[in-house]
Amino acid sequence: MRRLASILLWGGLSALGAAAFGVLATRRGETIGAAWLLIAAVCTYVVAYRFYAKFLAARVFGLDDRRATPAERFNNGRDYVPTNRWVLYGHHFAAIAGAGPLVGPVLAAQFGFLPGTLWLVIGVVLAGAVQDFTILFCSLRRNGKSLGQMAKEEINPAAGVTAMLAVLFIMIILLAVLALIVVNALKASPWGLFTIACTIPIALLMGWWMKAWRPGRVGEASAVGALLLLAALIGGGYVAGNAGLARAFSHSGPALTGMIVAYGFVASVLPVWMLLCPRDYLSTFLKISTILALAVAILVVLPPLRMPALTPFATLGEGPVFAGKLFPFAFITIACGAISGFHALVASGTTPKMIAREADARFIGYGGMLMESFVGVMAMVAACTLDPGVYFAMNTTPVALAQASAVLHQAGFVVTPDIMQQLAGQMGEQTLVARAGGAPSLAVGMAQIFASVTAALGGKTLTALWYHFAIMFEALFILTTIDTGTRVGRFMLQEIVGHVWPKFGETSWYPSVVAASAVIVAGWGYFLYQGVVDPLGGINSLWPLFGIANQLLAAVALCVGTTILLKMGKARYAWVTLAPLAWLVAITMTAGWQKVFSADPRLGFLAHAASLAGSAALNAGRLIFNDRLNTLVALLFMTVVALLIVVSIREWWLVLSKRKPAVTKEAPFIERAYATGD
Amino acid sequence: MRRETNRETGSEKRDTVVPGFAARLLRVVRRIVGAPDYGAYLEHCRQVGHPPRLTEREYVAQFFESKGNGVRCC
Repeated sequence: MRRLASILLWGGLSALGAAAFGVLATRRGETIGAAWLLIAAVCTYVVAYRFYAKFLAARVFGLDDRRATPAERFNNGRDYVPTNRWVLYGHHFAAIAGAGPLVGPVLAAQFGFLPGTLWLVIGVVLAGAVQDFTILFCSLRRNGKSLGQMAKEEINPAAGVTAMLAVLFIMIILLAVLALIVVNALKASPWGLFTIACTIPIALLMGWWMKAWRPGRVGEASAVGALLLLAALIGGGYVAGNAGLARAFSHSGPALTGMIVAYGFVASVLPVWMLLCPRDYLSTFLKISTILALAVAILVVLPPLRMPALTPFATLGEGPVFAGKLFPFAFITIACGAISGFHALVASGTTPKMIAREADARFIGYGGMLMESFVGVMAMVAACTLDPGVYFAMNTTPVALAQASAVLHQAGFVVTPDIMQQLAGQMGEQTLVARAGGAPSLAVGMAQIFASVTAALGGKTLTALWYHFAIMFEALFILTTIDTGTRVGRFMLQEIVGHVWPKFGETSWYPSVVAASAVIVAGWGYFLYQGVVDPLGGINSLWPLFGIANQLLAAVALCVGTTILLKMGKARYAWVTLAPLAWLVAITMTAGWQKVFSADPRLGFLAHAASLAGSAALNAGRLIFNDRLNTLVALLFMTVVALLIVVSIREWWLVLSKRKPAVTKEAPFIERAYATGD
Repeated sequence: MRRETNRETGSEKRDTVVPGFAARLLRVVRRIVGAPDYGAYLEHCRQVGHPPRLTEREYVAQFFESKGNGVRCC
């Protein structure tokens, strides 16, 4: 009877999900409700969690609750703490969810809602969640070791160094592209800039509160910080309405670049309790509450999707948001939400040190990534509720918009300057044209969804306030990533240089702190400036580079995972990591190749440089240099990862052909105290 | 001369005034956001049978320093 109920339940859920996919795939030329998208996604997640994740946990990894976890063996009440799985799920989710799952789907919406949604849902089930779960399991069995350490010990030392360099390069591009999103959202926006500027003194106050005045009282400090943040948000409206103040807080992209670079440097050299930790708490609270609120609002409003399932840009490859066809660019544009290499750093960081029972790894590693994918689906819904004409006008430059005007007109994606002006007025902005980067269009989508809820509840729509709330929400956690990323990059640089100059490797030696921070900030600052002054809007060149880099890091993680599975004697299950690895290598190498060598100047760096040769334009020389630098970076990423794959394949062949003993560096089995009843 | 915290001097009232469920809820939220929890550290020391090696200020300072080394995803 119970078995029959189970078959009916899971069969019913599968059928419901399949029906929702059917509706999404077959309805053309009419508006479709967001509900279908949500049903398709949720049914897929629950079925995948119930069956595929269980298969991974039981058959592939052989999770064993009798085995003591690092949290139990090294319990120190601080870093290593056995933690309830629901609590750790929240903690892990807060660490992996950032701007990526929100911005990537918004940008990929230029292909229509269907390709991005399919990649988000299928990608997470077969690749992203598998990667997170695998690395979490591997680290859990190795005393919480990092990805780099595992690459070094399980593949070889060269692989460890390669992985570390890959992370450092990727970090620089990541920080540049995230900073570009903030710059594009805040330029000529006095309301937005005032609110974000206020977060700095608010964070400093919170830092003093938590460290010096009331040690460890994060809750109190965060409550005060949140109230002050709300006041800053409302105050921003007053600033925008006052001509003198609005002028003081209106700045161009290059000026904002200088400010954000200076901020990144200061945040990296200051003690963490002063700025980084308080900002991190504020952004975590805001992130979790806003994502929950957005989920509820979407479920209440169930807005219709105005973007078609597929746009002409899916096959033409001449999209105004970024150039390139659906394959491979949809798959690198959406990284976080489907698969993100960065998660491997979190899954081999704090999380494995807090897991109480091995079986919890399935819920936290696989389940946490499913939730991130759901955030990506919500971002896709928010972007696709916008009028397509508005979406394209916001997410590109006037030049690229003019180039794509014939296709846009043919597809019926028309927008007039009056409509854009009216929308900007509703959002309390001077203009919303050419706000590339995804954040402003996501903010407009979120504002419209939240405003319909407040209107339905009988209040004012508060659209402008919601828009700036969404901008603050995005900018706040992007800046948190910039703080932590610059600092982690600084540590890595100190460690690398420390091999040849040990004094430089001392993380508390101030000259080294300042020099390493300056190098890291200069690295991402240069790419940021390049993006800000790029006539094509910067996102066109930087986001694909970031996507390629992030997915290549995922390839590194999957190489490590496959090596460990083979050494565990699980060769027959190696396809669980090899299949996503093969897919990632195919998409990233194709995308990298096209970004470098495509003959289309909008797509290929070298073709773009060639098109500028002999140009009399003032900045032509610098643009050519940037194209060549981007070429070098893309080739470097591809070479580094190709090397790692070759080294991994050699290791696999040696192990499988028994030329090398399959020895893993797994920690010895120690039985859990709870299991023995102590 | 460094000032001792209320918890170290024994004048801390928070854990006694917050009722059981609310205290547990606070601890859950603290763990989720990655906030320091000196009370949990003291409890851990009591369970393993050694006196606390860190004062609350030292514990908080070390906790924040370790948090600063963590990665936040994009």
